[in-house]
Amino acid sequence: MSARGTPFILDRVLLTLACAGVAAVALGGFVNHAANRLADGVALPLWRAPPGDQALIAGALAAMVAASCLSREKPRALAAIGAAFALFFGCLVASAHFADRLAEGAKPAARTSLGAAFWILIALAALCALNAAQRGRLPFALRVAIGAGFAAGFAALAQAGVFAQLALAREFAVHRAEFMVQLWRHMALVGASVAIALAISIPLTVLALHRAHWRGLLFATLGVVQTIPSIALFGVLIAPLAALAGRFPLLGAWGVGGTGAAPAIIALTLYSLGPLVRIFVTGFNEVSADVKDAARGIGFDGRRLFFAVEFPLALPALISGLRVVAIQAIGLATVAALIGAGGLGVFVFQGIGQYALDLVLLGAIPIILMALAADLVFSAGLSAARGKR
Amino acid sequence: MIELDGVAKFFGPTVAVENVSLNVAAGDFCVLLGPSGCGKSTVLRMVNAMIAPDRGRIVIGGVDIATLDPIKLRRGVGYCIQSVGLFPHWTVERNIAAVPRLLGWSRPRIAARMAEVVAAMQIDKALLPRYPRELSGGQQQRIGVARALAADPDIILMDEPFAALDPISRAALQDEMRRLHEVSGKTFLFVTHDINEALRLATRIVVMNKGRVAQAGTPADILMRPVDEFVRGFLGRDELPLRLLDLVEIRDRIAPLSHRPSTTAIGGNATLRAALNMMLDHHVSRLAVADETGRIVGEIGLADIVAGGAPQ
Repeated sequence: MSARGTPFILDRVLLTLACAGVAAVALGGFVNHAANRLADGVALPLWRAPPGDQALIAGALAAMVAASCLSREKPRALAAIGAAFALFFGCLVASAHFADRLAEGAKPAARTSLGAAFWILIALAALCALNAAQRGRLPFALRVAIGAGFAAGFAALAQAGVFAQLALAREFAVHRAEFMVQLWRHMALVGASVAIALAISIPLTVLALHRAHWRGLLFATLGVVQTIPSIALFGVLIAPLAALAGRFPLLGAWGVGGTGAAPAIIALTLYSLGPLVRIFVTGFNEVSADVKDAARGIGFDGRRLFFAVEFPLALPALISGLRVVAIQAIGLATVAALIGAGGLGVFVFQGIGQYALDLVLLGAIPIILMALAADLVFSAGLSAARGKR
Repeated sequence: MIELDGVAKFFGPTVAVENVSLNVAAGDFCVLLGPSGCGKSTVLRMVNAMIAPDRGRIVIGGVDIATLDPIKLRRGVGYCIQSVGLFPHWTVERNIAAVPRLLGWSRPRIAARMAEVVAAMQIDKALLPRYPRELSGGQQQRIGVARALAADPDIILMDEPFAALDPISRAALQDEMRRLHEVSGKTFLFVTHDINEALRLATRIVVMNKGRVAQAGTPADILMRPVDEFVRGFLGRDELPLRLLDLVEIRDRIAPLSHRPSTTAIGGNATLRAALNMMLDHHVSRLAVADETGRIVGEIGLADIVAGGAPQ
């Protein structure tokens, strides 16, 4: 078979993503238009959107197909990232223009929210960029730059007010002040609980490493905590903390009570402890016994053995432990809103209560982005700690 | 240099080492030889206080090591193990300099000593900034030995250092150790289960069995007068006469050149076994013998090898 003239598909993932994009556009609504916030909307497909935007999205999908035929990894990766940019911003702009057009002549209460096809295309753009970054072996700095490019473009569009007519943006505009408060609160809950868990996990790790017979009991206890559903653990903490605050008014003055931040931080800390101690212990146990024997044999004392050998060799495991619990805490902190601890969960549960999907998304999307950001930061730390060895 | 006096060690109910007494003189290359589990590694690890003896005492350079700070003791003794145990997060250079750094040597002194060690162990300088992961097993153990030598210790302990290497790397490192021992005059205590390695390196062999010393002496002593069935068996009963050939150099049996000299030559410092090997290989019964400069100084025949019997 002659290779001449027949384009070879060299990146099947890219081609599959493009096909999925076409199917999503063909079958799903790009936006939903409803008479008001609570009414069921009508799904409107992409081909009812302004023609220029349609062309941009179609062009991006075509570019993905074209990129999949490029033979060299690096140019293909860069082309795919270009296509992902086009798809991402094409969708954003298309949805915003679509919403503007639908808003003309509609009542102020009318809402345009984002449809299934929009979310699928955004997800495909993200997958396309990730796939390209992995297969093209792009250096870490370039990956960060690409991520920053996506974020900066989005921020610029948002700042320019392009999205004003989208339901999500209108929810944000209404809740703007509270959003910032809850965003910080969410980060504070996660930061405080992970920091406390880290502080407690150090002595527990030492205990588990040096007293083998305590290890089983410790792991079992922490394991049991992991099995308690989060909402139940939050609930269980209400009564004793309320009693404590009642008995010692000073604690109450510090903000400790049955509801609020105190039980949330305690519960999040308890959830973080199990994985943290387990991964720490594994990390230290996996430091090669031969290396430790050689170190002792040539005259390392205990302190130097720990700081110069064991700790640096276990550090990658310690960082992955922190990554796991930080991402877990970002998700679990959502539920903390139910016991009055605040955080982005507030919007999620308000939205569920009011059957306002866009309000749910206003809480959920930043939580997802926060988890992704945490993952990125810890990955960077991990590759720095691994170094060249 | 190293004296063990009635040393014993028990791990729970099992006896690891029982009533071991031996005396390693300064400059000896002493090989502890025995099957696995015979207690030879335990003896080695007691010498640098990694394991404390339950009975008896160990004296190094006239000082009972129980009175020394074990950390200081270990910094003054070279230590090298089978699995090498290089620090994976440090470059080769930093690995070699580990003990001098622990001892707080000055930077120029470390640099000067590094140059010496790197030259002595014939380490490629291009390896110095690399990480252990990037090295072959043989290269890693070369670095491991260099690390043991770095602080210029008088005593070097080695626990089956070459057991995991391929035959070529092993032979190369064994040659290196012989040379190093001859040049430096340091005292070596070397553990192995490999009789060939022991014969190749040792000036003194201590055969151990079940935690006790079965026999101690020069390689020739042990080969010619094994004290019991265990030692005889361990040395390889059937191959004993052949092994004796390892102990004699060709120049000890050299004969004057005959009228029709052999075209195949061998160095006078090679062993009789090497000569026999070469004869079998070339299907000849006589070899020309060359000196260090390659000049033919005599010859050796099959009869010279067979007739000589045991070395003196």
